[in-house]
This record gives sequence, C-alpha cells and structure tokens, in this order.
Amino acid sequence: MSVESFLFVLSGGIVLGALYALMASGLAVVWSTLGIFNFSHGAFIALGAYIGWQVSNAEALGLGHVAGLSATLVVMFAAGILFQQIFIRPFERKDNIIAATVITTLAGATILQNAMLLIWGPRAKQIVAIAEGTISIGPVAFSGNDIALIVMVALILGFAGWLLARTRTGRSMRAVAQNRQAAELMGLNVPLLYALAFGLSAAMAGMAGYFVGSIRFINPTFGADPLMKALIVVIFGGIARFTSPIYAALIVGLVESFTIFYLGLYWAPAMLFAMMTVVLTIKPSGLFGHHQRTL
Amino acid sequence: MSEPVLVVSDLTKKFGALTAVDGVSFEVRPGEILGIAGPNGSGKSTLFNAITRVPFAQTSGIVLFKGAQISNLANNEIAKRGIARTFQRESVFGNLSSIDNVLVTIEQTNRASAFAQKIALAEQALDLVGFPATLHNWQAGRLPVYLRKLVMIAGAVALDPAVLLLDEPASGLTVSEIDKMRALITHLNELGMTILLVEHVLSLLMEVSDRLMVLDQGRVIALGDPATVVANPTVIEAYLGTPA
Repeated sequence: MSVESFLFVLSGGIVLGALYALMASGLAVVWSTLGIFNFSHGAFIALGAYIGWQVSNAEALGLGHVAGLSATLVVMFAAGILFQQIFIRPFERKDNIIAATVITTLAGATILQNAMLLIWGPRAKQIVAIAEGTISIGPVAFSGNDIALIVMVALILGFAGWLLARTRTGRSMRAVAQNRQAAELMGLNVPLLYALAFGLSAAMAGMAGYFVGSIRFINPTFGADPLMKALIVVIFGGIARFTSPIYAALIVGLVESFTIFYLGLYWAPAMLFAMMTVVLTIKPSGLFGHHQRTL
Repeated sequence: MSEPVLVVSDLTKKFGALTAVDGVSFEVRPGEILGIAGPNGSGKSTLFNAITRVPFAQTSGIVLFKGAQISNLANNEIAKRGIARTFQRESVFGNLSSIDNVLVTIEQTNRASAFAQKIALAEQALDLVGFPATLHNWQAGRLPVYLRKLVMIAGAVALDPAVLLLDEPASGLTVSEIDKMRALITHLNELGMTILLVEHVLSLLMEVSDRLMVLDQGRVIALGDPATVVANPTVIEAYLGTPA
C-alpha cells in the first residue's frame, strides 16, 4: 500500500467516523436519558436530508446551505419533540416501556418513511456539495466537502458537549439520565427534559442526514444503513460518557474504510459486527463502557 | 397554636389488591419533627412517595401544604413549593460532581440569577450539612455512603424547603456517623425546617422527634408523645408480635 493510498483510505475513514459520531451521539442521548432505543433514528436522518435538500437545493427552494442547515436544525428539533410526545410519552413509566417503544419507534419510522415517499416521491435526490474543490496536503488531495463535513461535525459535537456539560439544561439532562426520581424531587421538570433530549437527538440526526445527503443519494430508507452503523457504534463503544460514541465512531469508520480497501465492500458489515461481538464478549458494557447510563 | 404546615387527610395508596397506605391522616405543625416508625413494609416510604408524588401519586386522599392542596400538582411543582425529600438509599447523581449535584437543585429555584451566586448557594448548602469543602469536585458516585447521604441532604436543603422528608437517613451508617446525622437533623430543625423523619434507628427517632407516629400495615396505630407511643401495647405487638 502506497503512502498516498494509505492517506486516502485514512481520510475516508475519518469522514465516515465523523458522520457515525454525529449519528451515534444523537442515538446515545436518547438511550442515556430516556433508557430506550430509538429505531426511528434512521428515519430522522433521512427526514433531515430531505428537509435540507428542500430548502438548500436549486431544484427546490434554492436558499443555500446556511438556510438549509438552519432549517434542518430547527425543523428536526421540533419534529423530535412532536415524535416523543406521540410515540414515547404515553408509555413512560409503564413496566414494558422498552418493548413498547421498540414497536412504537419502528411504527413511527415506517410512518415517516412513507410520508417522505408521499411528499418527495421515489426519485433519489442529492444535496449539492457543501464545499467545492480539493485541498492538497503533501501528495494527497482531500475533497473540500470532506474537510467541511469533518469541521462542521466537530463544531456540532463540540456545541452539544458544551450544552450538556456547561449549561443548566445540560446539567439537568445529565441528572435526569442518572436518576429520574431524585431529579423529580429536586424540582426538575422531567417530561420537559425528556422532550428536549429527544429534540436534541433528532436535530443531530437531521444534521447527520444533511451531511450524508451531500455524499450519497437520498431516498426514504437511506437512514437504515446509518442507523445500523450508529447502533454498532453505541454498543461497541458504550455510553459511559458523551465522548464514548465519538471515539468508537472513529474506530468503526477507520475499520470500515480499511476493510473496504483490503477485503472489499461486502466484508465491511461482517468485520464491524465481528469486532462488536469480540468487544461485547470481553467487555459487555462496551469498549469505553460503564454500567450506569449517563451523558 | 400555629396552623399546621402540612395536613395529610385520608391518604390511601393501593397496588392492585394491596393497600400499602390505608387512610392515613395527620397534621404537622411548623418547626416540628414528626418521627415515623413501623415494621418493614408498614407503608412509611410509600407514605412519603404519595405525599411527594415521586415515583407515584396517591390513589385517594388529600395533602394540604400551607393551607393549599398539593395532591393534584406535578411532582416537581410540589418540590418547588417547598417540600423536599431524601431517599432511603443514597440517591445522588453519580456522575456529577458533589457541587453539581446541589447546583442542579439551585438552578430549579429562583434563589439566585447569576451563576456565581448559584455556586455560592450550592457551597453554602454543602457547608450547612458538614460536607468537606475539599471534596466539592469529587464525583458523587465515588464518595462513601455517609458523604453521599450528605450530598443528597444538601440537594434537598438547597431547595430551601419549609418541610423536609428524611427517609431513613441513618441506614447503613456507623455509630459515630449516626451521631453526626442526629446533630445535623437537630441543626436543620433549629434553622426552621419542619421535618418528617422515617427511621429504623429507634434511639435516633426517640431523641429528635417531638411526636412519634407508628404505622402498621398501612394504618396509623399510634401518634403522640414518643415515650407514650413506644409504651403503647399495640405498637409493641406490631413490632414483636402477640405473646404465645
């Protein structure tokens, strides 16, 4: 393998890792806070991509990337809250909440996918690249779009991390994630915080969808593969800290990228699941894991 | 005599066919420490749960706080009105630092607006309960049991409550720690907090309580002066059973 090839595969892995980090962190926020797995996260990724396409692309409203990203963020945050109120809230505090929300979030995902099909039709769409051209570092030319994606994902994750660690709302969300009953006794508005956590998660999924939509074709089910990768990342890395899925995502992205290069595209999922199985066998709480749910 | 700060009237909590709290009624005067005793499963913690609506509300009955009904409010509203509670187990936010545990509570109140003031209030609450200043930044989950209990009580005290419900604060503590807990409860009461104290350590309960209420199978079987209550044959029978 030449140095150029190595750097090319490495940069591809980092881009994948960054996108998986954004998807998985959103998924982990809901799992940590509400204690449920959101199977509609993939549909949120697709919905975010469609909203971004609708607002930014010349074939639709043509308002550009700033408007597209802003609209995706706001609409997906609101959509996440609405989704939580309809599909999750009625089952809170029920004994079978985990099983019930597997069904309701899968149902929600199906409804969202069919709604997207009705609104945007079956023809695949793509968001135009966020940045054009290439940037050469030594012998390797990096795509401007890839670098823009990495920088923007880092900014979004940095903001989400700051929100959770340094603000009143974030501290309250972390408290609720760790101990709902104590949080209620301290006067925290738990239903509101659950809704905000779901909104934050959906907004992160939407942003991930926007970025993936700039490198892949968008269709109503295109969130399925990212959801599977986000699931691998969350289980593989654990959710001990907000940063755990981020590190795990980079590992998953790099392993996927090098597996595709050396073994071929179809070996990548097998390799990732094998890696996840080995880690779970040795460390059931995940690579950076920890038994307590936290943010 | 001053008006009662807390009135519990015919409070009942049922779990299917089981009645855990069965028509309990009592009043608590401002500044009083009401001790609550009873055998395991007699409904003491369930009574606290039903008053605070955490984690569940009562099946029937009314709770008045400072003359206003609170039994129909959301649980976080009850806390904000001035009823704070601690749990039997050291229920802290394990991954947050000790100071952040208390700060979370301060941030739910209108006691301060600037962040520096909020931190100062959190430090004040930790100091009040005797939590070591050198451990403010330690993760609460890594503290020993007694210090975790102090963090939990500091969080409750930070709400500036009129009524504090303490659920077995002495459980799992050593003799010297129980002495410190006794002094803390007395100190909080001297600061003006009305306290409802559920406890199995009878010596502690007898020393600090102004009145003692005993529950058995969800019902109040005795209420009054602690010395009289513990001598009550019905109470002795509830704890020890009927002589053969």
